[in-house]
Amino acid sequence: MSIQHALLGLLSTGPKYGHQLRVEFEERTGDVWPLNVGQVYTTLQRLERDGLVQSDGEPDGPRKTYRLTEQGKHELDEWLYTPPDLTAPPRDELVIKVLVALQIPDVDVREILQSHRRHVLELMQQWTRLKENEAESDVALALVVDAELFRLDSVVRWLDAADGRLKRMALEAEPPAKAGPQLRRRSAVRR
Amino acid sequence: MATITQARDVRPSTSIAARRAVTRWAWRLFKREWRQHLLVLGLIVVAVAATVLGATVAGNSPPPLAATFGSAQDIATYTGSPSHLADEIAKLHERFGKVEAIEATTLALPGSTRTYQLRQQDPHGPFSGPLLQLIAGRYPSGAGEVAMTKSVASALGLQIGSNWLGLGNPRRVVGFVRNPDSLLQEFVLIPPGQLPNPTEATVFFDAGGIPPFEIGPTAQSRSFSRPSAALNAETISIAAITIGMLLIALVSIGAFTVLAQKRLRSLGMLAAVGATPKQVGMTVRMNGLAVGVVGSLLGSALGIALWLAYRPALENSSHHLIGAFALPWAVLAAAVALGIVATYFGASRPARAMVKTPVVAALSGRPAPPQALHRSAIPGVALLVAAFLLLGYAAAGAGAQPRPPALVAGLVTLVVGVVLLAPFSLALLAALGRRAPIAVRLALRDLNRYRSRSGSALSAISVSILIAAMVVVAGSIRYSSVVDYVGPNLASNQLLIQLPYTPGPQVATAKPGSVTKQAGPGTPQSPTAAMTRAVEKIASMVGGAKQLQLVQANLFLRHAAAGRQWSGAVYVATPQLLRFFGIENSSISPKALILSMRPGLSSLGKMQLMHGGGYTPGGSSGGSFPCPAYDCLANPQIQEISSLPSGTSAPNTVATEYAMKTLHLSSEFSGWLLQAAKPISAYQLNQVRVAAAAAGLQVESKNEEPSSAQVINWATAFGIALALAILAMSVSLVRSEAANDLRTLSATGAGRHTLRALAASSAAALALAGAVLGTAAAYISVAGVLRTNVLNGGLASLGNVPVPNLVAILVGMPLLAGLAGWVLGGKEPPALARRAIE
Amino acid sequence: MSTLDLINISKVYGTGASEVRALQEVNLSVEPGSFVAVMGPSGSGKSTLLTIAGTLESPSSGEVVIEGRSVEGMAAEERARLRRRTVGYVFQDFNLLPGLTAVENVSLPLELDGMGLRASREAGLSALANLGLEQVAGRFPDELSGGERQRVAIARAVVGERRLLLADEPSGALDSKNADTVMRMILAACKGGVAAVVVTHDAQLASWADRVVFLRDGKMVDQTSRPATPEELIAPYRRQ
Repeated sequence: MSIQHALLGLLSTGPKYGHQLRVEFEERTGDVWPLNVGQVYTTLQRLERDGLVQSDGEPDGPRKTYRLTEQGKHELDEWLYTPPDLTAPPRDELVIKVLVALQIPDVDVREILQSHRRHVLELMQQWTRLKENEAESDVALALVVDAELFRLDSVVRWLDAADGRLKRMALEAEPPAKAGPQLRRRSAVRR
Repeated sequence: MATITQARDVRPSTSIAARRAVTRWAWRLFKREWRQHLLVLGLIVVAVAATVLGATVAGNSPPPLAATFGSAQDIATYTGSPSHLADEIAKLHERFGKVEAIEATTLALPGSTRTYQLRQQDPHGPFSGPLLQLIAGRYPSGAGEVAMTKSVASALGLQIGSNWLGLGNPRRVVGFVRNPDSLLQEFVLIPPGQLPNPTEATVFFDAGGIPPFEIGPTAQSRSFSRPSAALNAETISIAAITIGMLLIALVSIGAFTVLAQKRLRSLGMLAAVGATPKQVGMTVRMNGLAVGVVGSLLGSALGIALWLAYRPALENSSHHLIGAFALPWAVLAAAVALGIVATYFGASRPARAMVKTPVVAALSGRPAPPQALHRSAIPGVALLVAAFLLLGYAAAGAGAQPRPPALVAGLVTLVVGVVLLAPFSLALLAALGRRAPIAVRLALRDLNRYRSRSGSALSAISVSILIAAMVVVAGSIRYSSVVDYVGPNLASNQLLIQLPYTPGPQVATAKPGSVTKQAGPGTPQSPTAAMTRAVEKIASMVGGAKQLQLVQANLFLRHAAAGRQWSGAVYVATPQLLRFFGIENSSISPKALILSMRPGLSSLGKMQLMHGGGYTPGGSSGGSFPCPAYDCLANPQIQEISSLPSGTSAPNTVATEYAMKTLHLSSEFSGWLLQAAKPISAYQLNQVRVAAAAAGLQVESKNEEPSSAQVINWATAFGIALALAILAMSVSLVRSEAANDLRTLSATGAGRHTLRALAASSAAALALAGAVLGTAAAYISVAGVLRTNVLNGGLASLGNVPVPNLVAILVGMPLLAGLAGWVLGGKEPPALARRAIE
Repeated sequence: MSTLDLINISKVYGTGASEVRALQEVNLSVEPGSFVAVMGPSGSGKSTLLTIAGTLESPSSGEVVIEGRSVEGMAAEERARLRRRTVGYVFQDFNLLPGLTAVENVSLPLELDGMGLRASREAGLSALANLGLEQVAGRFPDELSGGERQRVAIARAVVGERRLLLADEPSGALDSKNADTVMRMILAACKGGVAAVVVTHDAQLASWADRVVFLRDGKMVDQTSRPATPEELIAPYRRQ
């Protein structure tokens, strides 16, 4: 995940030390996405090379102060207001898993869906515990937890929809007389 | 090749198409929900059918006047020698022109006391046509032919072709006849001129309006026989159905409210897709109209069918033929029209309310909460006060006819006031029940919540009780008057035989200037031997009867106060009379002047006994009742003897022999009272009348006048039954929306007893509120009339409280309703789990 | 002793060709203080499971045991008493009697059980206060918002120390904030020892429960195991 724009955002309130940047980032994201030290400095160097930030000339290290340039400010604004590219769906491992399973005979696809469903629910239970205990007062944390819950919820919904489609498919495929179940599934699966 | 242009943009007018669409949709809805309409439909069908049947039966039950008068306006009956009869007939012919005479003589059936008439009549006579009908064979035409009624034929063992020997030489029976309007008559018909020695004659003529007593003692006139127009069967039917339709309108308001609320979401959707408020309201109104039309037509058909089925039975019991389609068509038309109007009106009110509901609320299925407007009691109370005053105005005076417009206005205002007070009563009930146990509290709150339908049900119940209570209160006041005594004239086993009325000479006055009074209906006449024989014969006709000779005392009783005046003759307490009624001499107080069975007369006070042949008028001239000693005795001692008969024409009040002696009173013989062992049948009565007429006597038998108990108790029973019927139908309406509530209650653990208590409380509360409201309004109306009308004794008469009947209404009815609710409310709702789907 | 035991519950509707097997040999045990969510697509039988557990319906076969007592042998009156004292049921909507105020609705089961007016009113008020609803006590249901209504319904379901709370889509008609509040209330009740069974099709709502049970075609096919604590959740991402 690219954190360069997040760092630009943190610098927009004023020049900061590198160490400060790291701490603030974690705080502001509810400690959910801890940052690697190396990752922070590498990103800062790249930003400086691209002319988006400017350092004060101190040697590399915690004491080095960085500040935002005009170009950097412009870049930040553009990033904030430009919606991300959502057109190409990300490669979803779960979806691929289900598609593969449909191709293979003797595999109970609905069982696969159920085990995923259970797993996702277990995850959601944990996130909800978090919401219950800590997220009352911490808005940032609450936002992140909500995002996770909705994301996982959408997975469950997709699992339910897939379940429904498969069930309907099975019912529709029944009426013609027995011509071998395997043959049937393959023909139903053909795209 | 021709091209056809598609006229795509030519559409019919939006409003017509839309209206058609809405009507179609309304019809579709009605078809789908016909079960919910059954309630109102059933009510209308029953009401219209009952009106049609009732009006037709009531109109056709009494024997038509044609039975007596044929097609003439007047008749006169004479008895005597053939020359006397011929004289009288000639006199009438001279005076009135065209007359028709039927001469007859009475023959006895061999070996029996039964008699039959031998009648000479022209079957095609000008007036007597309706009295004769040919059943079989033909009318007799010559000297040797007769026709007869079937009953005579079977008694004599004759058939068509047999010979009848009643007059000596044999005459052949050529046909069977009957009087279609009086099937009990038994006679033999011979052609005119064949009867050698007639002993009686009935002459038919048209007197052109001259009253019968100016023609002769045995004359009767059709116009003087007709009962007063005000109270005939048709008027009563129309009044009954108007009230019935009012009640139906009230109940149907509730029913259509429920229906409209069930459809709230659909109606909201209709509005949301662009139907105008008018169109939305129209669907509900069309619904009402459809139900009204279907119901009224079905009801009329049912009524006519029932009538056709019942007609033969009625012919049998009333002894005259009734045409199959002798229906009061005016009443029918009125019933159908009122049925349609009532339902349309019933549907319009909820239609208007639905239209006012905002679309959003309608779509969410939540109706608007009840308006605060209806909570105030002021409009209702104001209208009741107005009704009180209007009715007082209508009845002002000493008892003449009430002013019709004011009377109607007063009654309408009264009913509207009751209707307006219904919602307030519901709010009052709910407030009173604040601390009651949960089931009662819930029932009262729900009644108050679903105000439009419980309110309409309450109005209907109150109005039915109002009508019954008015009859009960007014009736008890009227019947309690011992001065103007009202009730049945005789018992069913009694007959009063009187000497005919002949206007006699005026009795000499004691003082010039005072008004003279006739000394009673019969002038001094002693019974002739013929009369005594006739009475003996009559006594045997009814299977043996005790005879009592009645002597009327020449005195008059007066109540020296404003209000009703004395009615009824005062007879003399002869030893025979006392013996006849089993009154011991020892039970009579020695100083008593008057004995009476009228309850309360002895303690009434302000009575005056007028004697001496004349009396000084009082009352109307300024309210004073002077009682000068020469012809008046104030506060005569009256003793109450309950063994005396209670009939208004029977000797219910008699003067003791002590009175006759002390006051030097004269008396005259006036007739006989006959008391048979069993009630007198119509057949016997018929024969009695013939025998009496032959002897020139007048017979009075028990009339149709109802007794106090009959009127008051029937009114109470009817009112309670009607109210309970309306209540039964309304409670199901009121609680029909309760499916979800029942689910919640059961899920929260309400047991069967709670559910029963809920239903019982709803029913009892409505019944009690209706009883109280209706009775209160009835008292207001009667008080309003009494205030200005002195005839019935003013407001003091209200002290006469018909306690048992009021207890039945105010206590009995709510208890019955509660009991019914308890018994019927115990069913657990079937699908507790599932929510009620519309 | 578990608060609720469903043993081999089956439910069949209709006969012959139109027979519907709503539930097939379902077993479920709920301990005091535990929160169970029942998930499944529509037609999976989850609502039927709940109505059977709440004695609103009888199973075609199997046993329902509440606090050790079998419901089978109970007469209708005893079952009603059970609903008054032990079981609290929350429907998706139309929970409250429109003719009673909020506090009267809450004290309804107590009053039905014969508790006096004053005592039941106090109990109702305290139940409302526990859930932060004192201010709506005197209002009628049609004066309350949807969320308030459901919360009052839950107050009624827990008033008077009831031990079993059954809810059928209690947040179904509510927005997410109100839905969360309702679930928090149920959780709070569980902390007080109430055993709760909530039927829902919404995964986010189900995730409030300790245990999620999955129904499919009338059979119980799966359930979640005891979840890890939040710390365990985040640990892999944190240093040290």
